[in-house]
Amino acid sequence: MRNTIDRGCAENTTLTRRRLLRRTAAAGAAGAVAGLIGTEFAFADAAYAGDTLVVLSLRGGFDGLSAIAPIGDPDYYRARPTLALPKSQVIAGDGTFGLHPALAPLLPMWSLGTLAAVHAVGQQNPTRSHFAAMETLENAAPGTSIRSGWLDRMLGGTGATGPLAGVSLGNAMPARLFTGPSPAVSMTGIDDFALAGESPKRPMAAALRALYADAPGVLAGAATAADAALGRANPLRSTTYTPANGAAYPATPLGGALRDVARLITSGTGLAAAAVDQGDWDMHDSLGTAVQGQRMYDNLNELATALAAFATDLGPAGMAKVTLVTISEFGRRVVENASRGADHGHGNAMLLMGGGIRGGKVYTKWPTLAPAALADGDLTVTTDYRSVLGEVLQKRCGFGDLSTVFPGAAASSFGLAAAR
Amino acid sequence: MSSPTRRTLLRGATALAATAVAGVGVEAVVAAPAVAAAAGTAGLVSSDPIAHLLRRATFGPTPDMLAEARRLGVTGWLDRQLNPAAIDDPALDALLTRLPLAGAGIAGVRAKLPVHSYEAFGQLGRAALARAIWSNRQLFEMTAMFWANHLHVAAPSSGVWDSRSDYDSSVTRKYALGRFSDMLKASARHPAMLTYLDNRSSSKPHPNENYARELLELHTVGMIYTEADVRAAARLLTGLTVGTAGTYTYNAARHATGAVTVLGFSHPNTTADGGEAAALALLDYLATHPATAERIATKLCLRFVADEAPATLVAKLAKIYLDNGTAIAPVLKALFTSSEFAASIAQKVRTPLEDLTAAVRALGLGIEKSGTKALDALYHHLVKAGNAPLRWGPPNGFPDVAAAWASPSAFLLRCNIHLNLAAGWYPQQLTRPADLLKALVPVLPATYGGLVDALARRLIGSPLPSAGVAAVLSVAGKAPTSPLMSTDKQLAGSLPYLIALVLDSPSFQLR
Repeated sequence: MRNTIDRGCAENTTLTRRRLLRRTAAAGAAGAVAGLIGTEFAFADAAYAGDTLVVLSLRGGFDGLSAIAPIGDPDYYRARPTLALPKSQVIAGDGTFGLHPALAPLLPMWSLGTLAAVHAVGQQNPTRSHFAAMETLENAAPGTSIRSGWLDRMLGGTGATGPLAGVSLGNAMPARLFTGPSPAVSMTGIDDFALAGESPKRPMAAALRALYADAPGVLAGAATAADAALGRANPLRSTTYTPANGAAYPATPLGGALRDVARLITSGTGLAAAAVDQGDWDMHDSLGTAVQGQRMYDNLNELATALAAFATDLGPAGMAKVTLVTISEFGRRVVENASRGADHGHGNAMLLMGGGIRGGKVYTKWPTLAPAALADGDLTVTTDYRSVLGEVLQKRCGFGDLSTVFPGAAASSFGLAAAR
Repeated sequence: MSSPTRRTLLRGATALAATAVAGVGVEAVVAAPAVAAAAGTAGLVSSDPIAHLLRRATFGPTPDMLAEARRLGVTGWLDRQLNPAAIDDPALDALLTRLPLAGAGIAGVRAKLPVHSYEAFGQLGRAALARAIWSNRQLFEMTAMFWANHLHVAAPSSGVWDSRSDYDSSVTRKYALGRFSDMLKASARHPAMLTYLDNRSSSKPHPNENYARELLELHTVGMIYTEADVRAAARLLTGLTVGTAGTYTYNAARHATGAVTVLGFSHPNTTADGGEAAALALLDYLATHPATAERIATKLCLRFVADEAPATLVAKLAKIYLDNGTAIAPVLKALFTSSEFAASIAQKVRTPLEDLTAAVRALGLGIEKSGTKALDALYHHLVKAGNAPLRWGPPNGFPDVAAAWASPSAFLLRCNIHLNLAAGWYPQQLTRPADLLKALVPVLPATYGGLVDALARRLIGSPLPSAGVAAVLSVAGKAPTSPLMSTDKQLAGSLPYLIALVLDSPSFQLR
């Protein structure tokens, strides 16, 4: 798998007619207000007081063993004679784990303690299929009949109801993380989210609203959500966004998406949950050594540059109300293959960034890479990724009970985030 | 929170199961409206069988093709379309000469382009879009796109700059209406597939599992394999690689010998020289595996029938597929003449690509006089929508169900391209009828309501509900009863908006 995104799902059509109508009415009112007050945002959406949660999906199978290398584990060097990160190249860490040099742009956050990693984390599901693994990762309710995405359930639990409370950025297609009844908007970018031809003389939006008033939900859902979201996006789009504190986003899809997330956050449109993607992690071949021009180095560096720009742009005050987490469908095989790459694996590393994160360290119950400790050749999962997310939800997003978002999972007790 | 969701889904599933049962006999006639009602889309499009067939088997009905299908009847039209070599395509052929690298072989691309150039990808994607819009061989093109999506090799993707066009012509297009087993074996021996899924660098001591896994999971049997099957298949596939000329080669020195078992297939695999034949035997086994038959039948149903494949039709098509040695044409013919297909009116929603192709075809917009600027613009519209031909990144291909595409952004993109096409703002180079209004509505109706009604019948194939007509007219400040005269000075200015809104309507989203 080379590029970016797997989208696709079979059940995004669950908005009831009543719910759609309710949302239309609310959106119409909000749009009118926005028009009156121009770019001054004063939206009174339902009161969600927790962190904005930004979920960054690393598509294809992130190699946590390269990013947060287990340099204290001798089996790491036995399994990866050409690909293992040499101890001499790590830029931070604790002697047991070391950060890949391509993550250098994130060093300030690591030192400041706003960036942490969790290792040997992952799913219970042992599948090594991208598509099955992404589906269960994003559903996050194994063993239940729940079909929605966990970010949809999280959004529902926050009580945030604004038309831009849940947004995925970087792709026009709906994000499966948001599959379910809580309305979320996908956009390629804020500047692209516009309706052509709309003018006082040609009220296209009103005509479309009337055209879809009686349409079945399967066809009306997107139209109605677009209508609602336009009321918020129109004034945003009309102002040029200049990142603060000299933040320089890379000209990459992830850079652009995180820039728009920051734009939504700083404009006070009520963003509670955002989903963004970075692809090209499926490094079966040419993963490479830790030098510029190699696949792993370059993709990690792009990731780090974009995350650093995001944190710089929002600044400490902004990041105090934001938590960003990375997830990936699985880690990669411990032993390298003939193509100087690594095949699909199991356990992995997650990154967490935010003012409320207790960073500068790697949280893990390390199972070791000793052959007998591996799960079918792969890093054993000792921490359910849902428990890490659960700890974030409890400490940063105001969730007491996790059973709706992550049925059957308990929050981890790492203490990786400070209570708000 | 999740319980109403679940209930809704179960209700949907139950209703669809009813189709499956009803499909066997005359009950299908009764079942059709019931199923359409479940989705709420009944009545939004014409239930005329010919119109239904052309909404599904083409990239959008046109008046000419509708007339042809009415003349030939369902079977006659299908027989003609299933023999594409007998159909002339002069206008498209002329356009394709402007995209020579779309049809070039590996040596040809290498001779023309610097290494890692994206030029051939660009031409190939545009050619695929042009064929969808303007080819007379509509069912062939629809089927070729289905197979390109099934045995997907993303364009662009790294390493296949020279081989992706050849893969298109010598694998997915070559066998689109042939035998799947031939297509599968051709894909396994093509540098594009071997590069995209990394088998080219696999080796005896450390097999690369990428291709083996997707061969099982995506190309053939689906999620019934074990990790042991993947590892065994990866070993058997070692040696299938790419030579220095960029063409396929079998390298016995890289082949891992030793007995293998994959699902129910076993092979002694004793010699390195015999490794290629052993791998091909596995591919033949997989192509004719009942799970492959069921999976391909299901995917064809998702493409052409409904987002929930009717179980009876899947079983019927899987049997025809196996009985005919994996030949595709008999399966397609059975699908389009089945009672399940007949009962599936208004059950599919157009993807962004289908929305674009259907809009261009409905408006009668023709190939640009020279160059490819318009085609570039249409292609880039689909890049934004995430649906440009062949451009999906992962190896599973584009999703083919409505929910995967239903988003606010996608909706706005549709509306925006409709207005741009109707007004001729962008792209400007497409050949337009001298008088678009006359071309769509030859005789001017007496009222604005009559005009929208005529536009809807021409562009969608059925009228809009009266509330829809009023909604469309609101953009022009008119009511359905507003009189319309040829001297009306506002008409020209309003027309693009009226056309766009008809194309924006819920009915046009259906195919």
